[in-house]
Amino acid sequence: MIKFKINDQQVQAQPGWTVLETARQHGINIPTLCYHEAVEPSGACRLCVVELREGDWSKVVISCMYPVAEGLNVYTDSQRVKNVRRWILEMLLAECPASKEIQALAAEYGVGSTRFAVHNPEEQCILCGLCSRVCAQVVGANAISTVGRGVHKQIGAPYMIPTDKCVACGCCVTVCPTGAMRSRFDAVRGVPKVVLAHGAR
Amino acid sequence: MDNGNGCKIGVFLCECGRRIAPLVDLKGLEQKLAQDPAVSYVATLPFACLTPGLSNLRQAVAANGLDRLLVAGCEARILLKKFEGELLSAGLDEGQVDMVNLRDHVAQVSDLSPEDKAAKGFKLIQAAVAGLAALTPTVREKVEFKGPVMVLGGGIATYSAAQELSRRGIESVLAVATDEWEDEIRMLHEHYPGERHYYDRLKEIMKEVDASPYIRRITVGELTGLTGRTGSYQATFSDPTGGPPRVHEVSAVIACLDGQMLNQGSNFGHDGRNVICHTEAEEMMWTLGVPEGKVLFWINDYEAGHPEYAYLSSRAAWSMARYMRSHSPRTQVTIFYNHNMSIPLSTGERAASRQLGITWVPYDGSLRPTVQTGYVTYCDPVSHLECEMPWDKLILSPRRSVGHEALKVAQVLGLEHVEGHFLEQHKQRVRPEMVGRAETILAGSARYPCDLHESLRQGRRAAAGVAEIAATAARGELYAPRMVCVVDASKCIGCGLCKEICDCGGIEPVEGPGGNIPRHVDPMVCTGGGTCAAACPYHALTQQNNTTAQREARVAALARGLAADEVLAFGCAWGGLAAADNAGVKGLKYDPRLYMLRVSCIGQLDPSVMARAFLEGAGGLLLIGCPPEDCHHSYGLDHTWSRVNLLKKLLALCGFDRRRIALAHADLNEPEEYIRTAEAFVSQVAALGPIERTPDNLEKLRGLYSTVNNARVRWVLGASLRRPWEDVYPGNQRNALIFDRDFMGVLSEEFIRARVANLLSSEHRPFQLSELAAALKEDEAPVMESLREMVGEGLIGRMHKDGVAHYVLRS
Repeated sequence: MIKFKINDQQVQAQPGWTVLETARQHGINIPTLCYHEAVEPSGACRLCVVELREGDWSKVVISCMYPVAEGLNVYTDSQRVKNVRRWILEMLLAECPASKEIQALAAEYGVGSTRFAVHNPEEQCILCGLCSRVCAQVVGANAISTVGRGVHKQIGAPYMIPTDKCVACGCCVTVCPTGAMRSRFDAVRGVPKVVLAHGAR
Repeated sequence: MDNGNGCKIGVFLCECGRRIAPLVDLKGLEQKLAQDPAVSYVATLPFACLTPGLSNLRQAVAANGLDRLLVAGCEARILLKKFEGELLSAGLDEGQVDMVNLRDHVAQVSDLSPEDKAAKGFKLIQAAVAGLAALTPTVREKVEFKGPVMVLGGGIATYSAAQELSRRGIESVLAVATDEWEDEIRMLHEHYPGERHYYDRLKEIMKEVDASPYIRRITVGELTGLTGRTGSYQATFSDPTGGPPRVHEVSAVIACLDGQMLNQGSNFGHDGRNVICHTEAEEMMWTLGVPEGKVLFWINDYEAGHPEYAYLSSRAAWSMARYMRSHSPRTQVTIFYNHNMSIPLSTGERAASRQLGITWVPYDGSLRPTVQTGYVTYCDPVSHLECEMPWDKLILSPRRSVGHEALKVAQVLGLEHVEGHFLEQHKQRVRPEMVGRAETILAGSARYPCDLHESLRQGRRAAAGVAEIAATAARGELYAPRMVCVVDASKCIGCGLCKEICDCGGIEPVEGPGGNIPRHVDPMVCTGGGTCAAACPYHALTQQNNTTAQREARVAALARGLAADEVLAFGCAWGGLAAADNAGVKGLKYDPRLYMLRVSCIGQLDPSVMARAFLEGAGGLLLIGCPPEDCHHSYGLDHTWSRVNLLKKLLALCGFDRRRIALAHADLNEPEEYIRTAEAFVSQVAALGPIERTPDNLEKLRGLYSTVNNARVRWVLGASLRRPWEDVYPGNQRNALIFDRDFMGVLSEEFIRARVANLLSSEHRPFQLSELAAALKEDEAPVMESLREMVGEGLIGRMHKDGVAHYVLRS
């Protein structure tokens, strides 16, 4: 049994739990986007950051992957954490301004607009990759992944053409934290064509 | 506490952070469930799905000896697999864990008070608990691989498959017609013309196969039978020397089948001498050498009606042209192609083509070229001028078909063949874990037209697939999926209806085709669609761990608890249920009077489940499947339409409104449309009002329930279901009306018979005809007709008292 503190409240955890799991078990809310209970955490969105304090010194870590340890001093809603989350949300607002979910979350933290350049006002996807993790770990189909690199990175089937690996279960649409998968789904499931010869379709 | 079924069910309510807890009165719900005798243990957890919650679950299971578990939380589609995986170590197998979507079907989708939401959740949980209580769990079935892998069919992919198997160290038996592999290369152009450049590589493969210690070659006649199941097959071959048939015990079968090339008809001027096809041209080059003069390849696949094969034909033509030019410089070669297609050459090949002086001439595809003696007239695509192209030899593309030999083998293997198609089968779009064996193990151009390279690749791929399964089996880790169909051999009469409907190919007779032999199911092939089980006239075919009895228990428990204006619905996990989940995730609000139950395919719903809903007091039943032609299993939606139609007819016979049951479909990506569907149906049923629970109505509903379980009715229904080889639903109205009339006749007969039988069995005393007719409120003539038939069949006895006939049920 590991004992430590979250927001000055004494909590207990088992070895192997993460800070996020322990917080949730004790009814402490930490916002998340790319985290889903059905799959392994990946730490892509950084929204679940918490502050770990040790005397005068403190650091900010992601709670979804941080393992519990004896004597931790975790703050989930301190000023520093709120600042980091506001920065993240401001960046997300620039990345996917069209997502209602992101807008609502930003408004909760008092972020109404962004100072970063908006490249695509229609964008909804934060490229957290939750959809592809669910597709691989829950469905086992491995139909979608990130395609391209850098600023060209997007979510889709290989070569952005409908794939017969997709079983059209819609798990990616259900778990998507920003509602972006909805418009991408049709380009993944499609109607798979029979390949007549290698190279020819 | 025990619930009478000898099982202990634990229910866990999930708070899911702020998404369920404040919206639903979980405390009240927990108290209510604690008083339910069917529930042995109930607890509320903050997050059942996270590591702390999962350890709580396992502790509760161990401490209370629970053998069934229900989590009322979120989507079963996404989290059920995690719970199943985590609870396997606690002794709960797949099927013994179930989920109710409290969050997306109750908490998030309406503005009801927390108490009302708890009441709705309670009814849904009760239904799921009843379903779990009705479960008879099976033991996990281990699949073993006994004997070598057999590669049969004689296609060229035999060699690549055998090579792959031997490289992976798996023993194989090659069933071939002849021992001489040089002969096979000599005749290969019959199936794959224009592949000479590949022969050296093919010889290497053949040599490797010849030298491998893992490969045994047997010379056999025709394949006459294949029985057994994945891991243990018996393949029967006729003896080429005329002896008795030989049986080989093998663990798996890879069928390598080559398609057939046919000549074009005379509409392209084919005469077999100067106007020839690819295969004839190859044969000519083998025997007479390369022809001299002007050789013209016409890629005429567009005109022959198969533009999709133009790629293959032009590749073959290019390969033959290259051979001709490099072996006979005096031959002029032109390839004549439709301008709608692109030249299928890489940059390097284009350069080689130019260097060899092969000309590619396009023609305008909107005008069909005409073959005349010595030249072809065509329209130039640029200038639109009519031009002539001279030739000494005109070589046409071949026509492609499966071929007679391959078809015979396919028939024995039980592969469904659709006229005019190749053997490539409709693939069920289900999760990989739902199928034991990923695909039909079939390779070669009979599967779909392809070139030699692709054919060999298919052989290797099939072999790799088999090798992987065999390796898993050798480690002792190969288990058959648990939600598959099984046959109760004592009930099965071997009618073959299930085999006709099954399109995953899992159902086969035990020994040879035909005859009244009980069928059996290969659990490694069955995808668990279950429409076959719902169609069985004798309830001999069931889906283990997911039975009709469970669904009936679920629907009965829910229907008993519903208020007058509330509606029961079944949602398919790929369509309706997923759309409802997504509506909850998006937080859309809709009519809370809809109670949705989960099925993995809407086709699993036996008509008896639908009838049971009405019998137990539901006022309306909505079935929401996938979009049309999008069923993930086979034709679940089509089959359900037929079943709903049966229910509608029976409701009309009972004097109830036909609109109380409806089939709908929903796209999971369009939750708003799903809401429109749901609300339309709920308001429709609310307008109709409840079915009054009067003795008369109950008697009719019991009759309805008995009628849908009647073998004759189920047979007639089964005959009308869409078959897998039917490309489109044959909804021919003339046939439909004739069928309707006959079906209605059968139904009205069987309905009265069922009601007579129910009445006689409920009161153990003799009845007169007039009494019976009065009790059933029917005319005497149809009742008399039923009585006469039932007496004739020995179901009821007739005795005379005071000169009046009395009828009594025979025990």
